[in-house]
Amino acid sequence: MSTKEHGAGAPLVELRQVTKVYPNGTVAMRGVNLRIHPHSIHGLVGANGAGKSTLIKILAGALEASSGEILWKGQRVRWRTPADARTAGVAAIYQHIPLVPTLSVLDNLLLGRRGWWRTERRHLAEIERLLSRVGYTIDPLVPVSELSIGQRQMVAILQALMRGAELVIMDEPTASLAQSERELVFRLVRQLCREGQTTFLYVSHFLEEVLHLTDRVTVLRDGQVVAEMETATLSEEQLIEAMVGKKLLSRRSGPPSGGQEAPILLEVAHLHSPNKVKDVSFTVRSGEIVGLAGFLSSGRSEILHAIFGADAEARGLVRVAGRPVPRSPVGAVRAGLALVPEDRTRQGLIRDWPIWRNISLPDLAHLATAGLIPRWEREQERALRAMSALRIVAPSTAVPVDSLSGGNAQKVVFAKWMYGPVKVFLLDEPTVGVDVGAKAEILELIRRFAREGKAVVLVSSEFEELLAVAQRILVVHQGRIVAERLAAETSEDELVRLASGLARERQSSGATPLEDEG
Amino acid sequence: MSTDRRYRFLFERERFSLRNAGVVYAFLTLAALLTVATAISSQSNYLDPRNIANIFDQSSLVGLLAISMTVVLISGNFDLSVGSVAALGGAIALSLVDRYGVPVAVMAALLSGVVIGLINGLLVQVVGINAFIVTLGTLTAIRGLVLILTNARTISAQSDAFSVLENDSWTIPHVLLVAGIVLVVVAALMIVLASRRAHQLSLAPESCLLAVAGLAALAASFFADWDWSLSHPTWFLFGYMFLVWLLLRYTVLGRHLYAVGGNAEAARLSGVNVSLYKIGTFVLSGFTAAFVGILYAGKLGAINPNALSGTELTVLAGAILGGTSLFGGSGSVVKSVIGTLILFMLANGFNILNLGANYQGLIEGIVLIVAAGVYTVADRSRRGGRVHLRQAGLAPALREPHRNNALVSSKGSRE
Repeated sequence: MSTKEHGAGAPLVELRQVTKVYPNGTVAMRGVNLRIHPHSIHGLVGANGAGKSTLIKILAGALEASSGEILWKGQRVRWRTPADARTAGVAAIYQHIPLVPTLSVLDNLLLGRRGWWRTERRHLAEIERLLSRVGYTIDPLVPVSELSIGQRQMVAILQALMRGAELVIMDEPTASLAQSERELVFRLVRQLCREGQTTFLYVSHFLEEVLHLTDRVTVLRDGQVVAEMETATLSEEQLIEAMVGKKLLSRRSGPPSGGQEAPILLEVAHLHSPNKVKDVSFTVRSGEIVGLAGFLSSGRSEILHAIFGADAEARGLVRVAGRPVPRSPVGAVRAGLALVPEDRTRQGLIRDWPIWRNISLPDLAHLATAGLIPRWEREQERALRAMSALRIVAPSTAVPVDSLSGGNAQKVVFAKWMYGPVKVFLLDEPTVGVDVGAKAEILELIRRFAREGKAVVLVSSEFEELLAVAQRILVVHQGRIVAERLAAETSEDELVRLASGLARERQSSGATPLEDEG
Repeated sequence: MSTDRRYRFLFERERFSLRNAGVVYAFLTLAALLTVATAISSQSNYLDPRNIANIFDQSSLVGLLAISMTVVLISGNFDLSVGSVAALGGAIALSLVDRYGVPVAVMAALLSGVVIGLINGLLVQVVGINAFIVTLGTLTAIRGLVLILTNARTISAQSDAFSVLENDSWTIPHVLLVAGIVLVVVAALMIVLASRRAHQLSLAPESCLLAVAGLAALAASFFADWDWSLSHPTWFLFGYMFLVWLLLRYTVLGRHLYAVGGNAEAARLSGVNVSLYKIGTFVLSGFTAAFVGILYAGKLGAINPNALSGTELTVLAGAILGGTSLFGGSGSVVKSVIGTLILFMLANGFNILNLGANYQGLIEGIVLIVAAGVYTVADRSRRGGRVHLRQAGLAPALREPHRNNALVSSKGSRE
C-alpha cells in the first residue's frame, strides 16, 4: 500500500520447496515456496506454530533447511551460520533485541565490524550521515541501556543498515512497543523501502499492521504457504480465513456441569501489574473452564502469574472459594491454587529428579509423617497412581524427568497437583511441545478436572483448543481483557480478530462487560 | 516387571559410580597409599589409632564448616565469610567469658554468627546482590570488626572453660566391639526396612557390606581390645554430620532445600518458600561458624585477630572434593566431610613422610582440580549414559511416537 507497485522482476530471495524436519521428527515446513521482491515490504503471517519462526531462522542462517533450495539474487546459496547470511546481506531482528546494553549506540552500530582501529570522529560522521539519510535523531554516545524499547528497535534497524543488509527480517517488532513508537518504526521502514536499498520481511501477529504496512503478504498454515497476495487486494476477512483455514471444529464443550448456580471458586478483581496486567477482573465457577485467548506476549501468562502471587508487583484481589488469597505462591498453594507453567523445564520440573520426587513436591507435607518426614511408600504410591491414571510412559517412577518426552513431562507437571487439595487450576499453554496423542489426553484431563468440580483457567494460543474445551473465553490483548465470549457463540475467526487488536474500536460497545458474573 | 527390576539395578549401580562415590574411593586409596608408604619407610604406623584420632581432630573445625558450607551450596549460594565469622565468634566468646560467664559468652558468640548469617541472607535474597560479592564483603568487613574489637592484639581469657570443649576427649573403651555392634544393628535395620518396602527379603549390596564389616569387627574385638580417644570436636563433627545428613536425607526440609537449589523457580511455583530456605542456609552457616570460633578459642584460650583467615577456601575445597555442585541442587554432607578428611590426610601424610611442607599446596591444588575434572567428565558421560540406558532395550518404553506436528515444533523452537 505504501510504496510503488512491484511487477515481476527477479526476486531478491526465493525459497523453493523448502522443508524442515526437526531431529525429533516434527515437520515444521513442508515445501514452502516464497519470493520476496527487492525494495518491497513483504508480510508474513500465520497462526501460532504455523512455521513462521522456522522460516525466519532458515532465511537468517540460524537453521539449515532439510531439503529444498534458497536462491539469493538468483544464485543458489547455502547458509550454515547466521554469519553466512549476514555476509550475504540478510539481517534478522528478533523480538528480544540482541544489543549490548552497556555499550553506546555507536559501539553497538559498529559491533561485528572488522578492523583494529576505532576513531570515534570518523565513525560519528558516518553515523550522522546515516541518521540524516533516514531522518532519525538519536545521540550515538548514549548507552543502549538508557534507551526505550522503541529506540532500541530503531538502533537494531540502523545496525542492520550499517552492516549493509539488503534484506531485513523483523520478527514481531512491535509486540512490546507503545503506539507512538510503532509509528516511528513504520515510518523508518517505509522510508528505507522507498529509498530503494532495503527490502523488509515483516512478521507480525497484528494483522492491522500487516495490512497497513506491507506490499505483499504470505500466509503460512501448518508449515505450508496457503496464500500469497498483493496486500492492496486483500481484506481482513480473507486474511483471517487464510490463516485459520476452514476446519471442522470438534466442539465437545458440553453444558457447564455446575450451571449458573454453581459456587464461584475463583474471583479476580482489579488485578494490576505495571506494564503487564491492566485491571483484570473475572470469576470462574466450580466446574467451569474459562479460556484466556491471546497471542504471544499479550499478557496472558502474566495474568496467571499475577493470580498465583508469583508476580511480586501485582496488586488486586484474588479470592478462592470466597477467601482472599495471600499474595505469594506459598499462600496461593495453601489456598488451593495450582499453576501449570508455560515453560515446563524452567518453571515446572526439577530436571535431575525422578518422576516420584517431582510429583510429590507441592504436597510433600501431606505425604509425610508429622508433616516432616516424607513417607517413601506413600510417595511411590502416589507416583504410581499418577503414572497409570495419566498414562505416563516410563519404565519406573525412578526415571529422571529430563529423559521423558514433552507429553510425558507435561503429564508429570499435572500430576504434581492432581491429588492435592487443589480447587482452582491455572493452566498456561499445557499442550505446547506435546504430540497429538498426548494433547488429546491432556485436554480430556482438563475436562475431568471440571467434572470433578474444580475451576479451570486455561491459557492457549491455539484458539481451536480453547473452543473445544472451554465454556467461556476471555480475549486478552496488551495485558487487558478486551472481550468475553461464550465458546458456543464465537468462532476462531472472531477470536483471532479480537486478539490481534483489529476490533479494538468495537470493544467498548460490543464486548460484554464482566461484572454481571459476580 | 522385568524392565522395572533391571532399571532399578542400573540405578543402584549408579550409586557406586565414580560420580557418586568417587570421594570414598579416593579416601580409601589415599589411606592405603599412605599406609604402604609409611610401612616401607619404616616409620610409625599410619593407621595407628592415635594418628587417626589426630587427623580427625585436625579436620574437625574445617569439617564442621564444610557441613554448613555444603548446605549453603546445595541451596545454590556461596558463603565466603565463615572464617571471619568464626574469628569474631571466638573473640566475642573470649572477651565476655571472664566477666559474664560461659553461657552468656557462648550465646553472644552464637548470636553474632546468626545475625551475620541473617545479614548475608537478606542481602543476597531480598536485595538481590550476588552471594559471592556479599560474602566477600562480609569476609573483609567482619575481619575488620575483629581487628577493632581486639585492637589488633591477641586476646585471651583467664577462664579455661572453653578448653573443655576443645581439648578434652571421650574414650571409647572397646572400639571394635562398639563399632561392630553399631554396624550390625545398622545393617539389620537397613535390611528390615528395605524388605518391608519391597515385601520380600531384599539384600542390598551396601547393607551386606556393612553387616560383614560389623561381624568382622565383632570377631576382631575378641583378640584386641583397643580403646580410642577422640577429641570433643571430633565428636561434634560426626554428631553434626549425622544430624544434618538425617535432616537432608529424610525430612521435608531437606527435600525442599534440594528443590530450591535444583530449580528455584519450579520450587517457588510449587509453593516452597524459596527465600526462607535461602536465608536459612546463611543463618545456619553463620551459626556453625560462630560455634567453630568458640571451639578454636577454647583450644588455645586465646585468639589472634588473624585467626582462621583463609579457612573458607579449605572449606570450599573440602566440599568440592566431596562432589558438591557449585550450581546448587546436589551435594552430601558426608562426602564433604570425607573430602575435608582427604585434605588433612594429605597434610598429615606429608608430615609423617617428612616430604617437606613445600609440596603440600601444589599437591592439594592438583588433587582438587583432578577431582573436579573427574566429576565433570563423569557428569557428562552420565548424561550420555542415559542414552545407553535407552538403547539397552528400554527405548520403546521411554519414547513416545512423535507424529508430524508443525504446530508443536516451531513453537517449541522459538520459546
